[in-house]
Amino acid sequence: MVDVGILLQIVFWGLYAGCIYLLLATGLNLIFGVMKIVNFAHGEFLMLGAYVTAAIFALSGLNPYAIILLTMLVLVSIGGFVERLCFRPILGTGKLNEIFLSIGLIYVFENVAAVIWSDRWQSIQSPYSGISIPIGPVSLPLDYVIIMVVTTAILTGLYLFLERTQVGMAIRATSQNRRGAMLVGIDVERMDMLSFGIGSALAAAAGTLWVVSGQVFNPYMGSIPAIKAFAIIILGGLGSIPGAIIGGLLYGLAENATAFLVGGPWKDAVSFIVLIVVLIIRPRGLFGEAEE
Amino acid sequence: MNYKQYTIILGIVLMGVILAAGCTQGATQPAGEIKIGVVASLTGPVSNLGNGMWDSAVIAANEVNAAGGVYVKEYGGKVNITLIPGDDQSTPAGGQTAVTKLITEDKVDALVGGYSSAVTYAHEQIVAQYKVPYVVTGASSPTITHRTDIDTSYIFHHCPTTDTYGKYTTEFIDQVIRPAINAKFNFDAGRPLRLGIIYQDSQFGQGVYSAVNNTIHAENLNIQIVGAQSFKMAESDFHTTLTAIKAAKPDAVYVAAFTNEMVPMVTQARRDVGLNTFFLAVENNDAPAYYKGLGGYGNYSVIESRFSPYTVPTGTIADAVAAFKTPYTARFGSPPDMMGASTYEGVRIVAQAISDAGTVDKASVQQALVNLRMPQMIEAMQNGVITFSSNYHESQFKLYMEQLVWNPTAGETRPQIVWPENLKAADFVVPDWYTPGSG
Repeated sequence: MVDVGILLQIVFWGLYAGCIYLLLATGLNLIFGVMKIVNFAHGEFLMLGAYVTAAIFALSGLNPYAIILLTMLVLVSIGGFVERLCFRPILGTGKLNEIFLSIGLIYVFENVAAVIWSDRWQSIQSPYSGISIPIGPVSLPLDYVIIMVVTTAILTGLYLFLERTQVGMAIRATSQNRRGAMLVGIDVERMDMLSFGIGSALAAAAGTLWVVSGQVFNPYMGSIPAIKAFAIIILGGLGSIPGAIIGGLLYGLAENATAFLVGGPWKDAVSFIVLIVVLIIRPRGLFGEAEE
Repeated sequence: MNYKQYTIILGIVLMGVILAAGCTQGATQPAGEIKIGVVASLTGPVSNLGNGMWDSAVIAANEVNAAGGVYVKEYGGKVNITLIPGDDQSTPAGGQTAVTKLITEDKVDALVGGYSSAVTYAHEQIVAQYKVPYVVTGASSPTITHRTDIDTSYIFHHCPTTDTYGKYTTEFIDQVIRPAINAKFNFDAGRPLRLGIIYQDSQFGQGVYSAVNNTIHAENLNIQIVGAQSFKMAESDFHTTLTAIKAAKPDAVYVAAFTNEMVPMVTQARRDVGLNTFFLAVENNDAPAYYKGLGGYGNYSVIESRFSPYTVPTGTIADAVAAFKTPYTARFGSPPDMMGASTYEGVRIVAQAISDAGTVDKASVQQALVNLRMPQMIEAMQNGVITFSSNYHESQFKLYMEQLVWNPTAGETRPQIVWPENLKAADFVVPDWYTPGSG
């Protein structure tokens, strides 16, 4: 019989992993929802977020949780730049171009990061490292509780931005009907750039939280999380932000439950098994809407 | 003096320099060179160790070249070593590409290096196909030279196998850790040690796991394996794995992992999961990055080793180790690691074999490696001699166990040799924060 405390800890680690995944997937889904592009280089924004946070931390000594906002701003700029320089010229020219462009960007970002920061793995320590909070039968490390709170805050901010601001509504309109948005005077190219920047910033937030939790990082860390993010948005429903959030959490929980019950090497496999099962039962994903 | 005159004088000077350089080379250097391909993970997740292997190979080649080079009879004098890097990118496919290029395009005379058993296993079939002498200095699975699906006669294994160090570490657990825990907590002296094992799901990790199991059964040791968990290569989130191991209530946890996995694992265990136990690491982690990455969480952890960046066993190799570490540290800014040490020796071994063979002919160099008897260098060898066993081409090292202890000056832990008795610099310590397992 498995101890309840152990089970609660597994759920906790699953939620932590889910926080990283859902931030990455939400950003990817925002970009896909607005621009309908496939960006396999999305994981590189997570990697850049990790490095930018570590660099600012090393230079300033600021609390890494405070650095997250700076990192997100930096990545909004980088994301906007990448959209304008790389994706806009090929928008509408075919999915194959987008795929090859984004694969090329993976190598560009990896090598740029390796040149700037070296390709040796690094790690940093959070100032709250070693502090735990007793909750019921388990003792939870403070860092991971903060990570969950920060993730919730970022998602709440994103929700308010998309629901309550003019620009947010314009992004949603572009996502729902690009031609209709143009007809009512929305600058859809500006929305493309903005949503790409915000999506990149969300990936950067995931990268920052990854770093703060004491995980090691290197220039090649982005590819696997990006593949998982794609699986998550397919699972949750393409273009659906709630789907990305639920999908991300489900992924984190499924991975960790599998690692506990079956073994670590099955972590990645089970996530894709879940994806296949969901797609067989519900091809649109959990929260996807039917094609018009 | 006008522009035209300047040009003429400059041209004459340049021609003189070129001619002088040519004459100098012609006077002291016979035609020919020795090209050694160094297979290492220069990029990818394990590039920390891969770059250390390359840097150490550079130090070895520089030493040899500074002494005039390698005497090769067929060239009628000494020739320099030229190293050519082969970046396996930390992947099996990358290793196959790198080795193919080194053999077919760069036309190397011999190969040295090879880290990660999975990576090396994948590319050694190319080595076997082209029959190039290869001194493997990193991959520790015995399958590297025991496999029978390819011709391994050109492959020589200059690092202990998982069988060797897995057995050695298990014996240390039985002879040192178990009695120390039983004594500290007033347990019955016959209480078995509860061992947890976490291993990379690869030939390397599975090799260590099976070596521990085999040793316990073969020697009838009083050790009980209470939990075994595996993980995929390059994993960095070990929370659930550690929680599962903690649930098994171990007295100690033996981990077969690379440094980029070992550091987050021990950190997460001590910091997040509250697994306050002894972690025993495999020798490949004895590198500056390991000590730096672990910080205080490595305090009182244990590592099996044969070369450490921060300590050296007393004995005949101490001077040679210092002679290696000093130029290395001066050039690269931090001391060399253990994988680098065996790669340094690998280059020297190839140089010696070519000199013995008197030629770079690959079959002759292979035979020279078979017959090699070379004094130990910077790692202590059994009987003080580097030689390869006739059956599996394996050299035999003297191993030791280190315990990491916090060093306030360094701001990191530093190793102390605690076993075997004839090498030990300090006693093995069970710290106050340590929590024993229970059945």
